[in-house]
Amino acid sequence: MKYGIEVVLKYLLGVDVADRNLAVYPDDTFVVSYPRSGNTWTRFLIANLVFPSENVTFTNIERLIPDTSSQSNRALKRTPRPRIIKSHTYFDPRYRRVLYIVRDPRDLVLSYYDFQRKYRQIADSYPLADYVDDFVNGRLISAGWGTWGENVASWVYTRQNRSGFLLLRYEDMKSNTEQELKRIATFLGLETTPERLKQAIEASSPDRMREMERTQSDRWVATKKHRKDIPFVGPAISGRWQSGLAGALVSKIESTWGNLMSTLGYPVVTSEVGQTHSAH
Amino acid sequence: MIRKLVYGMDLLLGRDKPGRNLTIYEDDVFIASYSKSGNTWTRFMVANLIHPEEPVTFLNIDHVSPDPDLRTRNFLKKCARPRIMKSHHPFDARYRRVVYIVRDPRDVVLSQYHFQIKRGIIQTGHPIEEFVQRSVIGHVNEFGSWGQNVGSWLIARYNTPGFLLLRYEDLKERPEEGLAKIALLLGLKTDHEQLAKAVELSSADRMRKLENLQADKWASTKGTRKDLPFVRAAVAGGWKSGLPHEAVAQIEQAWGHIMRALGYETVTSAPRDAKPSLLDVMGLPQ
Repeated sequence: MKYGIEVVLKYLLGVDVADRNLAVYPDDTFVVSYPRSGNTWTRFLIANLVFPSENVTFTNIERLIPDTSSQSNRALKRTPRPRIIKSHTYFDPRYRRVLYIVRDPRDLVLSYYDFQRKYRQIADSYPLADYVDDFVNGRLISAGWGTWGENVASWVYTRQNRSGFLLLRYEDMKSNTEQELKRIATFLGLETTPERLKQAIEASSPDRMREMERTQSDRWVATKKHRKDIPFVGPAISGRWQSGLAGALVSKIESTWGNLMSTLGYPVVTSEVGQTHSAH
Repeated sequence: MIRKLVYGMDLLLGRDKPGRNLTIYEDDVFIASYSKSGNTWTRFMVANLIHPEEPVTFLNIDHVSPDPDLRTRNFLKKCARPRIMKSHHPFDARYRRVVYIVRDPRDVVLSQYHFQIKRGIIQTGHPIEEFVQRSVIGHVNEFGSWGQNVGSWLIARYNTPGFLLLRYEDLKERPEEGLAKIALLLGLKTDHEQLAKAVELSSADRMRKLENLQADKWASTKGTRKDLPFVRAAVAGGWKSGLPHEAVAQIEQAWGHIMRALGYETVTSAPRDAKPSLLDVMGLPQ
């Protein structure tokens, strides 16, 4: 009954989190990824490009590109159309236009490890080896979004090379931001100039985002209730796993998702890769 | 606002139908498939196996094996565990134990076409070419296209623990063998006699007889045309005479790579992918 009353009140007031109950419109565009894959950075890039008159910050990003899992149904209903919406969900056939960002799972796990300590979902002393084991076996807090492999494969396999789907690799976005942002702009049907692309990139740089996080983290839903000694904006680099992840842990990830990783252009370095599972 | 209040009251009393918001238990088992792939038949077999004391009919199937899109939250909470649930949803990461039934999409599309006429969604004589065109882009129901539904499950779960893939065609040919595999996933001890009895009680003939008597009382057939049956041909390969060549070509063009991976031979000259798809490297049995 307590569950009932809380749910009903939230529902009647429209403050229930949208999530699976989001009413999807055909002209919605979704920025989708597994957590810690550069989604927030991409939202900043897009918001800076789409809303040049706004100074995009952590205090208005949820209004410009709302998050399905932190914003209410009412807030999403009030977002002007066509909406651009952030999501971490696995394949959802209702999403017609999707930008999907994928990141090397070996880097992602390190970033997620920091993030879950920030959120105090795991203790600082939690062994990284156990964490990697949880990661590949679907025991993380994100299990509701599937494992990394399930999430990525369910989107890539059903939608790749079809209209209404743009696959982006975080690593390409880091190494060639302007070119990738141009692809995003084309996908969104935006006219851009090299100057505008550069401005958007500059306004979304890791340094600028770190500076904003320092001053605004108490006002952003994703950071306000969490410890401040571990930042939300991480090192923002690719290849950190090469020094940060022991060989046995690299091997654990590669033996689970090796085929999928190779397909996405992440060469595996251990010799025994999974030949039977791709997305486990 | 009135509608909102009514739904609010339903939520409060647990009378809402949870669908994708279903609270899932670790021991839940899902009988999942795209629609018109033999899901109801499989549920009958499983239910008859679990409850030999009470033959399964259209009047009790939804109690024994409920559909979270059709039953209330209260009802689902009270079901005996482990619950055997029905689902047509594409990949859902929260389902831990899944029996996934796949059927030749050419037969699925044809069956879906007849089903939608029965339900009055399209009219008798509706051009089948148009229906096929909407089918391949997933615009005929809310479960995605056949390719998205099947593909999302296979790519995420094939060959992982807790996932059992069964082909409708194999089930038709050797139902007891398929049912034994399901029993194994459910952790049931069964013998040949029990399997044979469950299969017999779920035969197409018996289901047709039950439909004749009970169609007005079953949620999925109530209010639909009675001159067209829910339990239709129950055969494999009906597409060969029922689908125009052009429609077959369209289906094979859209989903040929998944069909071949599943052992459904394509007959039109749809271009093959130059490089193997993700599904191919997973080594599905041919």
